[in-house]
Amino acid sequence: MIPVHSMSWAESASPSLQAPSYTYPSTMSPAYTPVSVRQGFGQAYTPQSDYYASSTNSFNSPTMAPSSSDQQPQQQKFDWPDSVRSYVQRSFQSSNVDPSVSDTEIKAKLKETIRYTQDCGTMYTTDWDNMPLPQVMIKTQRRQELMQSAAAPPTVAESDRPTTVSASSNPKKRKSSDLSGPEPLGTTTVPWRSGKTLEDRITKPSNTMDSPLAAKSKFQKNAEKRLRRGDGGYQSTYRSPSPPLPTGPIVGLNENLEKRYLRLTAAPKPSDVRPEHVLHKTLDLLKKKWRKDGNYNYICDQFKSLRQDLTVQRIKNEFTVSVYEIHARIALEKGDLGEYNQCQTQLRALYRAGVKGNAIEFKAYRILYFIHTANRTALNDAIADLTAAEKEEIPIKHALSVRSALALGNYHKFFQLYLDVPNMGAYLIDMFVKRERLAALANMCKAFKPDLKLRYISEELGFESDTEAAQFIIDHAGHDMLQERPDHVIFLTGKAGQLFEEARAEAFRRVDLKGQI
Amino acid sequence: MDYLIQDFRAAYAELRGDRLAETLRPDVQAYPSKLLSVWGRGNYRDVKGDLSFLFYNNLPRSGLSISRDEAAGWIEVYLAYWKALGLILAAEGIRDNDQSSWEKVYEAWKDLTLQIIRGYTNHDFENWTIPCLYIAGKYLRQFAIRADEERKNSNEYSDAAVMQDDFDPESEEHKLLEDCARHLNRIFQTCLNDRAPLEESRKWGIYYAINLLFKTYFKLNSASLSKNVLMAISAGRGDMPTLDKFPKSQQVTFKYYEGVLSFLEENYVEAEKHLTMAWHMCHKDAKRNLELILTYLVPCHLLTTHTLPSPQLLEPFPRLQRLFLPLATAIKKADLRAFDIALRDGEDEFIRRRIYLTLERGRDIALRNLLRRVFIAGGFEEAKDGAQPVRRTRVPVAEFTAAVKISGGEDIDSDEVECLMANMIYKNLMKGYIAHERGFVVLSKNGAFPGTGV
Repeated sequence: MIPVHSMSWAESASPSLQAPSYTYPSTMSPAYTPVSVRQGFGQAYTPQSDYYASSTNSFNSPTMAPSSSDQQPQQQKFDWPDSVRSYVQRSFQSSNVDPSVSDTEIKAKLKETIRYTQDCGTMYTTDWDNMPLPQVMIKTQRRQELMQSAAAPPTVAESDRPTTVSASSNPKKRKSSDLSGPEPLGTTTVPWRSGKTLEDRITKPSNTMDSPLAAKSKFQKNAEKRLRRGDGGYQSTYRSPSPPLPTGPIVGLNENLEKRYLRLTAAPKPSDVRPEHVLHKTLDLLKKKWRKDGNYNYICDQFKSLRQDLTVQRIKNEFTVSVYEIHARIALEKGDLGEYNQCQTQLRALYRAGVKGNAIEFKAYRILYFIHTANRTALNDAIADLTAAEKEEIPIKHALSVRSALALGNYHKFFQLYLDVPNMGAYLIDMFVKRERLAALANMCKAFKPDLKLRYISEELGFESDTEAAQFIIDHAGHDMLQERPDHVIFLTGKAGQLFEEARAEAFRRVDLKGQI
Repeated sequence: MDYLIQDFRAAYAELRGDRLAETLRPDVQAYPSKLLSVWGRGNYRDVKGDLSFLFYNNLPRSGLSISRDEAAGWIEVYLAYWKALGLILAAEGIRDNDQSSWEKVYEAWKDLTLQIIRGYTNHDFENWTIPCLYIAGKYLRQFAIRADEERKNSNEYSDAAVMQDDFDPESEEHKLLEDCARHLNRIFQTCLNDRAPLEESRKWGIYYAINLLFKTYFKLNSASLSKNVLMAISAGRGDMPTLDKFPKSQQVTFKYYEGVLSFLEENYVEAEKHLTMAWHMCHKDAKRNLELILTYLVPCHLLTTHTLPSPQLLEPFPRLQRLFLPLATAIKKADLRAFDIALRDGEDEFIRRRIYLTLERGRDIALRNLLRRVFIAGGFEEAKDGAQPVRRTRVPVAEFTAAVKISGGEDIDSDEVECLMANMIYKNLMKGYIAHERGFVVLSKNGAFPGTGV
């Protein structure tokens, strides 16, 4: 049941908004919690195992988003406002002639642009005087297509971690997530961006520590990288075929609070989109439901559709930020790094554009995330990004201390920091706690002879209890390494060295950390 | 156009690739009037006429054999060049025209580059003309950078930042440079995939192209794309001339980038090899290049050999002195507090050059030196009859703890000290073991601190 990812997301056969007949291939060792496209409410979550018809990068066949005009009754006779007429005139003025764009192209583009605003009902409200001319739109589009089709060598992506199986029942940590079905997320790719995420460049395959199969297909890594870049899918369909759309965003008319998530393949109908005031109510509802039911699949689905509605209406304000933040936190709690990453990317862009939110909290998460993926370049850049003031903020200071403790192998300090993590950072640290414990044990085996009290180990390495510590040792070195003494248990460091050394190498190899010299 | 035509003829007659390339150099700072005259009155038909005359009448008559096919190629090249020149002159303000912008310049120069590439793939340009590719690539990169800057400062950019929901400031910042990278890649491919025999092959241009690519990828922060280039080169090794046969300047540049790439991946042994080679090959007067190489070689060396740069080495480089000397001194004196301060002071610059994460590991060396001092301070034990006196090998943890507290200037609990020592032992900086229950460290009799003579 090992499917193969295709290099990109093929468009479904029918570019309509109705339930697409596609599903996504499953991954063999999912590095993120896949979430299925919900087929309806009230149904149990069932894994789908249909395969995806793979095709090559099909983004080269742009379906013009506004071609939904074809579905409209033909030639609605409209009285065009003067601004539109003058826009048309300007398009053909000799001073605006662009030799690389033919008149036919201009005419087609004009038709498309104007039709689109008619469909959205924004023809009269659009600012035609400042609308980019069709020639400009066409050239931008061409450039985008060129970038898509240009061969960018596949890059090794930094990728997400799978959820770890947390054995503890600490209320702060969540239980191992229900990774039952292999369900990838429904997001599309931004193919021409494969050259980017430049900061993640250096590293290395995902740590699929808990999965039996280590090998990850290159595509999987790319897919994860795309997911992490996270437009949430609908955006890229929105952007790639058509040029930056005219200034009038859609205003939704849908009053329903809940709405299942459907990946967009064309411009949405305003009647499907919920306006902002409805979305506020939706958020409240979702918060309640999450607290009450804790049904992650449902919540994730709803949040994705909520995000989608925000995007298509170009709503980029503090509300948007809070939606992404809440979703990100929920995803963290559930160990869904894929979804977390999408939100994180969007948040980052929003913060940079000046929208207010909990930037400090999320900057700290970013640092922890890069520690987890051992992405030196990204880490370097993330630190470079911080101002001196930010470095003093508690969450960031904590994350930086974690980083420097680990850099020098100071496991003692690391586990002390682990005891008290600001915000939800603990969930991120959870992701790599195991490998750090292995490293620490490898250290201790070499340095402490002939043995160590189990109690010492469980305290130094932040285990919840001696039992947990014992279990960890047994898991990696068998029962023989522990011995009972009259009133305590000891761990035979002398003998266990080799075993932990190997385990450590294995854990770090997955993330491709070159050990320390 | 006359200048151009004369130069072309002269260069072609002598088969001088570098002179030929000069005909395509848009250095408006150096000789604006010459280029202005090439532009002439800005009449496309005139220029086309001139070029046709050159290639179809003039050259054959002066006995220079050039096939019609090749001639057609060159005409396209020069036409594209001429167009670009017009835009460049306008953008630089030498010519009066407000229709130009650096972005337009970039597009036009891109066309030129594509024409030149086509010259090799379609029009049978010979490999001695390869310097034309270099020039095209070099300026393509420069124009891309200028155009990106221009975009960043434009209104359109800031508007887009607010308006587009898919606007990603990071990706937009280097949009044209990324585009440029793709074209440079094509140049690289053109050189790589030439099947002609070695004397006529374009493979001789490969390292120039590679270095251009590296420069671009580094600016774009894309180490993995650089890695792909390296892999492509080692894959095609079979019939590729070895590096040492290329001009030294290209070798040095290549080795430098190879070294930095390894460095960034923490492959310090490899990095050291490459950087050392670059260091030895580099011309002694190329101060800036030497400085760059050292910037990575010093931290590298620190980790591989645990040695510090000598004052003599850094003497000709005041900038590096400022960077490294405080750290080096702190390590030598085993002063943890000074080390931390030096690291923090230089943090911004270290981060910029991406050496911070490497340098911070220098603390291990400082710590090692500190522990070594404690060991030595412990003195000797009584010698057994006849044997040499041996240093005291059983050191109480408490002594180490005290030392770390003094040196670090802050409190630390003995558990953490034991952890630090466990690291020392693990990293082979110290040989021995910790007897935790008894609170002692038992050091090895021979070579407790490898590499330091004790």
